[in-house]
Amino acid sequence: MIRRTLFSALLVGLALWMLRPDTPVTALQGGQSESRPELSGFLTDSRGQAISDAEVLVFLNDAAEPAVSTTSSEDGSWVVDLPGTVLESVHIEVERHHYESFSYRLAESEVERLRMDGSFAFNTIVLENQITLGFWVAAAAFVFTLLLIASERLQNALAALAGISIVFAATFILGAFNESFYVLNMERALAYINWEVIFLVMGMMIVVGILEGTGIFQWLAFQAYRVSRGRISLLIIVLIVITSVASALLDNVTTMLLMAPISLQIALALGIDPLALLIPEILASNISGISTLIGTPTNILIGAYAGIGFNDFLINQTLGVLGAMAVMIVVVLYFFRGELKKTSGGISEALYNKLKENARIKDARTLKWSGVVFGGMLFFFIVGESLHMVPSVTALLGATLLLLLVEPDIEKMLRVVDWTTLVFFMALFMLVGAVQEVGLLGVFAEIMGNLIGANLPLGIVVLVFGAGLLSFVIANIPLAAALLPVVRFVSAGIPGAAESQVLYYALSMGAAMGGNGFIISGETNLMTSGIAERAGYPISFARYLRIGVPVTLLTLAAGTGWLFLRFALTGG
Amino acid sequence: MATILCATRGGEASIHTQEHAIRLAQTQDANLVFLYVADVQFLSQATAAIVVDVATEIEHMGEFLLLMAKERAEKAGVKSETLVKRGIFRHALVEAAQEVGATMIVLGSPQEDNPAMQSLLEEVAGVIKEQTGVDVVIVDRSDAV
Repeated sequence: MIRRTLFSALLVGLALWMLRPDTPVTALQGGQSESRPELSGFLTDSRGQAISDAEVLVFLNDAAEPAVSTTSSEDGSWVVDLPGTVLESVHIEVERHHYESFSYRLAESEVERLRMDGSFAFNTIVLENQITLGFWVAAAAFVFTLLLIASERLQNALAALAGISIVFAATFILGAFNESFYVLNMERALAYINWEVIFLVMGMMIVVGILEGTGIFQWLAFQAYRVSRGRISLLIIVLIVITSVASALLDNVTTMLLMAPISLQIALALGIDPLALLIPEILASNISGISTLIGTPTNILIGAYAGIGFNDFLINQTLGVLGAMAVMIVVVLYFFRGELKKTSGGISEALYNKLKENARIKDARTLKWSGVVFGGMLFFFIVGESLHMVPSVTALLGATLLLLLVEPDIEKMLRVVDWTTLVFFMALFMLVGAVQEVGLLGVFAEIMGNLIGANLPLGIVVLVFGAGLLSFVIANIPLAAALLPVVRFVSAGIPGAAESQVLYYALSMGAAMGGNGFIISGETNLMTSGIAERAGYPISFARYLRIGVPVTLLTLAAGTGWLFLRFALTGG
Repeated sequence: MATILCATRGGEASIHTQEHAIRLAQTQDANLVFLYVADVQFLSQATAAIVVDVATEIEHMGEFLLLMAKERAEKAGVKSETLVKRGIFRHALVEAAQEVGATMIVLGSPQEDNPAMQSLLEEVAGVIKEQTGVDVVIVDRSDAV
């Protein structure tokens, strides 16, 4: 009991510490005084993106050493108070890795203004990107990591760790001999880790770990079998609805690992091809998660990066998801039309009882508490925004409360937290930070920006279909993580897009729906295929392709149509 | 009395294997044991969090599949037992053969049109025979029931 309470307190404490408001990064040197003259300005790159962590050095009266210095903050702003000496000349230098240095000497008239007004604000200073050896190292490490993940040569977390290790080796070992190898230091790398994502994923893992043991999904699937009374089309639709709701609230892989075995048994009991139930469930699982912040890992990433809340996803995505689901249902019912005509001769009492036993509620007490806590979590996901309560805090509070209420084995609970996934996220954030730091993502963003320009409908199509088609072959988590800064840049060039965040929704739809393309396109697909294969019903690449590709293209079109309607035509 | 151990799953190929084993049990007047192995090695490919007890769910699925096989045998007038084991298929099969005192092991050929797969299966069968001293029969889809 004491260990569990301590663990719970540690979790909450750690979360609150990690999620504390940012402290200002600007540190003034050389003493401060309200009456001292002040210099200030903004730093951006050539694409207008703020540059943080640049060092601004101020030299006074032709001295060789800077009188004061500061670093630019996250929004690119900087400000310094000058020492109270007689000002004859002022010269500033701005330095930052991966950018050309900037140097400016204030004109006589500007120095006079500074003396008279007590302050002087620079126009925005634009720093030009510099392609260094570090640029190529970071680019190679990123591509190498994507290839390792795509080829499954290394586990994801290990692949991402390998990538960021290459970056650090270049920075600290090669960089000691040649500064051009510098990519980013540890402090900068850690700053790229999004702790909200880490704690939200961890909290949800604990909640799902407790909920899964109750047998609720299997019980619901069995009820679908009973209610449908042998009508296959009705059964497929009810199972799609159950899978969709579960996937929207929990993660897709977990949902399918629980739904697939019982669905297989139901299919065999009805004498139909199990793939007629499993494939629609896979498709539904990948689509429905789009409608909530916690439904897919990519939504968690997008939400944390762009500040899109639980309600925003619900309001702006749900109708599009429902439209895509309707399209998907029509296609699967047509594709499996041969199975719909089959009539079951019924199963023996022994088989029925076995099915019922496998689908029973295993732990009613835990289910009751899980229902209460999960309901509370949903409430706080929805109202949390008005309380400035970020979703990761809701997830951690829910997980802790559930741990205290159901009193599970804490060691077991620690085991259900998949630390490798959390390490993957952390290493990936740092790696994406590295390619962002050297300007690679900026180059890609500029290409995208030039392609899309200020055309919102084109931006929606490029993002939905681009992310969707790339997700056929590239894991959608690193893809989304890499595209987020690009989306921010492209959004800034389209009137209204930055405010409505429409392109982030387009990325969310594309990355998730694209996972339906091939059997190898997503983890959900692969795990379901693994279970089907264990029952003697392998899902071949070709067979899945015949339904996966058309469904994906049609649902991407449906999603695009919805975003057009919601944002491009009606203005959001 | 002879004991036939039939390792099976639930697909079309498995049904053919089960029927072959039932026929063998009939002709040899042997005990028949259906085995399902809950092998969750495929989870090692997962990169997402696996927070559910997949092995137990697959064991339940295996019990259901074996019950179907048992009913099939009963319809043919052959009494049979079922056994579910967890682990790597090859190891679990050897363990089960020793546990039930098998005198013959019947395996299905899941992909008869794949020579590489067939050759791998024959290699596995050879290893199992070496380890257990029990004859291993691989049932081809073309084998008459």
